[in-house]
Amino acid sequence: MVLLLLRRKARGLLNTLRGLSAYEGVRNLAFAAAGAGLLFGLYSGFYRLLAYLDTVELIGRLLLWKLTAMMMLTTFSMVSVSGLLTSLTTLYFSFDLRFLMQAPLSVSDIFIEKSLESIFFASWMIGLVLIPFIIALAQVCGYGWGFHAAFVVLLVPFLALAASAGIAVTLVILYLFPSSRTRDAVYVLATLSLTLVYALIRFAEPERLIRPDALHVVADYLNFLKAPTAPYVPSWWLTKGLSSYAAGQTGVFWTYCGLLYASAGVVYGLLLGLARRMYYVGYSGAQEGVVRRLRPPFEDLPECRVGRWLGGGPGPAVLFWRERKCFFRDVKHWSQILLILGLIFVYLYSVKRLPLDNGDIRSILSFLNVGVAGFVIAALGLRFTFPGISLEGRSWWVVRSAPVAVGDLMRQKFLFSAIPMTLVALALGVMTNRLLDADPFTARLSLAALLVMTWAVVAMGVGYGALFPMFTVENIHQIESSLGGFVYMASSLAYVGTSIMILSWPMQMHFKERFGDAAAWDWRIAGVCAAAMVLLNAAAFLAPWVMGRRRLEAYEGP
Amino acid sequence: MIRIQGLVKRFGTLEAVKGLDLEVPPGEIFGFLGPNGAGKTTTVRMLCGLIKPTAGRAEVAGFDVATQTISAKRSIGLVPDEPFVYPKLSGAEYLRFIGELYGVPLAESRRRIPELLEMFELGGWGGELVESYSHGMRQKLVIAGVLLHAPKVLLLDEPMVGLDPRSARMAKDIFQTLAERGTTIFMCTHILEIAEKLCDRIGIMIGGELAALGTLAELRSKAKGGGSGLEDVFLSLTGGAEYAELLKNL
Repeated sequence: MVLLLLRRKARGLLNTLRGLSAYEGVRNLAFAAAGAGLLFGLYSGFYRLLAYLDTVELIGRLLLWKLTAMMMLTTFSMVSVSGLLTSLTTLYFSFDLRFLMQAPLSVSDIFIEKSLESIFFASWMIGLVLIPFIIALAQVCGYGWGFHAAFVVLLVPFLALAASAGIAVTLVILYLFPSSRTRDAVYVLATLSLTLVYALIRFAEPERLIRPDALHVVADYLNFLKAPTAPYVPSWWLTKGLSSYAAGQTGVFWTYCGLLYASAGVVYGLLLGLARRMYYVGYSGAQEGVVRRLRPPFEDLPECRVGRWLGGGPGPAVLFWRERKCFFRDVKHWSQILLILGLIFVYLYSVKRLPLDNGDIRSILSFLNVGVAGFVIAALGLRFTFPGISLEGRSWWVVRSAPVAVGDLMRQKFLFSAIPMTLVALALGVMTNRLLDADPFTARLSLAALLVMTWAVVAMGVGYGALFPMFTVENIHQIESSLGGFVYMASSLAYVGTSIMILSWPMQMHFKERFGDAAAWDWRIAGVCAAAMVLLNAAAFLAPWVMGRRRLEAYEGP
Repeated sequence: MIRIQGLVKRFGTLEAVKGLDLEVPPGEIFGFLGPNGAGKTTTVRMLCGLIKPTAGRAEVAGFDVATQTISAKRSIGLVPDEPFVYPKLSGAEYLRFIGELYGVPLAESRRRIPELLEMFELGGWGGELVESYSHGMRQKLVIAGVLLHAPKVLLLDEPMVGLDPRSARMAKDIFQTLAERGTTIFMCTHILEIAEKLCDRIGIMIGGELAALGTLAELRSKAKGGGSGLEDVFLSLTGGAEYAELLKNL
């Protein structure tokens, strides 16, 4: 039966591949090429880091293997948390579970199929990121193809173990608290933990370990480097297995290999035993709704009051109210917000720790920060602004059949995104300028540029969201990773890059003036730059917006 | 109240509605029947502005649905075939949202929303998120929503699907009362018994064309088989005996 269920998945995948049009094939190839490019970038970064560490006298190799052990430990933790989160959906809320549960199948068979699916989805992407690291390690140390094969042999049980640990936690939690609210609570707590771990790692300043001026302390922790990193965790067994293979100790390698496979078998067996007792209880509880008893909404809505004060009609105001209610009641958004707050803190902390004494360089960095912050805003736009229209979902008919113009809906979406995005831009811009102590001209120019950029990126997000609506998708990730998402991200980045390019001219003149050139400013060039910025922003604001509005007005899908 | 002239809708090479001409006066309950894929839902979607006609013209309450879309929509209440509603709003919040969208005064919303929720036996559910509602409860909520803003024209696409017998009976009574007060009701349905009892006139769409139009008595006289019920009339027009051979293999 399990094989039948797995064949069903394989058949579905095959049908999807066969059904691809030429256009979809090319598009997927483009995505694959972009992914390969990203992996190559990671490889280059890992290679430079590992090659540098390898040059450190006496302890170079020790550092390499210590880093590998830490990398594997991080991977193990991430796959475990990912297994926990993924299995919450696949084991308890998959669309096909209603069909499977009423079919003449044993709960164990269903669990096996769904747990294998969870293991795969929890680990494939994190496992993929390890590949450039291992290739870089092999190249730096001169290991051959056998090393890669040994890694693959060790990796499979390692990932299965990590994901199984996460799945076991989910099983127990849903068994003890069988409710649909448990999923929400676990989402938020897991994200909070990840954010905290990420922030703590950053605040520990790991870069100090590899800075030459910090190396005098290395002798003190030589023993620490030689000591195992979490010896009872499978990540250490993987590291030991790999290092043994590299050192030609095949006996030790097979010992750790056997340990990993045996542990994976035992843990998965225990998981099946747990599932027999717990899975059905948790599944049944997770399907039950939750009583909320929300207050009747009979007060004058704040959005409507503001709308009246601004002289607008009730349509956009009440759309904003609905958006606010729906957004903050969706726990998946909370976890994203927590992550973003964590990232902003880490970003600002990293800026603060930049070892810069020269005021000019600090000002230049403050200007270049506009590009980095613009990239952050574009990434946030892809997650929050671009999917806005598509998230109307199957309820699209409510607004479309109501006396509300598509333009009003788009303006509401713009406003709803622009307010928090402006706050993020202000936090990044003002704080960075203060931390870097940028000169007044640079501070003002970079902040103004960042604000305009933010609003343009938000307008593009709404416009492209309307141009590529997806009202029937099941989750937000499908919207983000769609062709429209790709086009939006590429356009936003092109816009940010072009803006920086144009603004670099007045910045050059400003710095020439700072360095004593009294006739540095050529007002004709400054005028051309201003005109170019106006044109660029007009195109960014209007082109996707108008095309999107027309597309949405003519939309004929479900 | 509804005037349709030469209405055409094409989806690529498929012509879903082929030059439909139809008028429905104020206060009439018009039943729109036809087999699956006949073009009924497409017609409703054009009338309420969800999709644009390829050719022809449709007017609702005197407004052209293609060019005076917003004015036309103010006069329309739509109950779609699938009652998808924002899952993260409560039932009462959804009704308040609809009230604001259609310009219902706050004082009236305060009075009418609890009344409508009680009427549809959703009184205890008004504070619950719609995601916890059953299909039938969502259907009742959507019907309550269109009643809240008292439209001149009701476009109903399978409004009784999912309703329990009591609610279905109440919905029928509500539609009849509204029609007596002058509301035009344009209803697509596969439940022939409802069409037979409720509708003043019936139109039968087949393959995108209006194959028959008239009162039940007029349709009976047109039917080839000469049966007495709407089911016989419907089957004689759409063909229904072809499956008899297949049944033997069941």
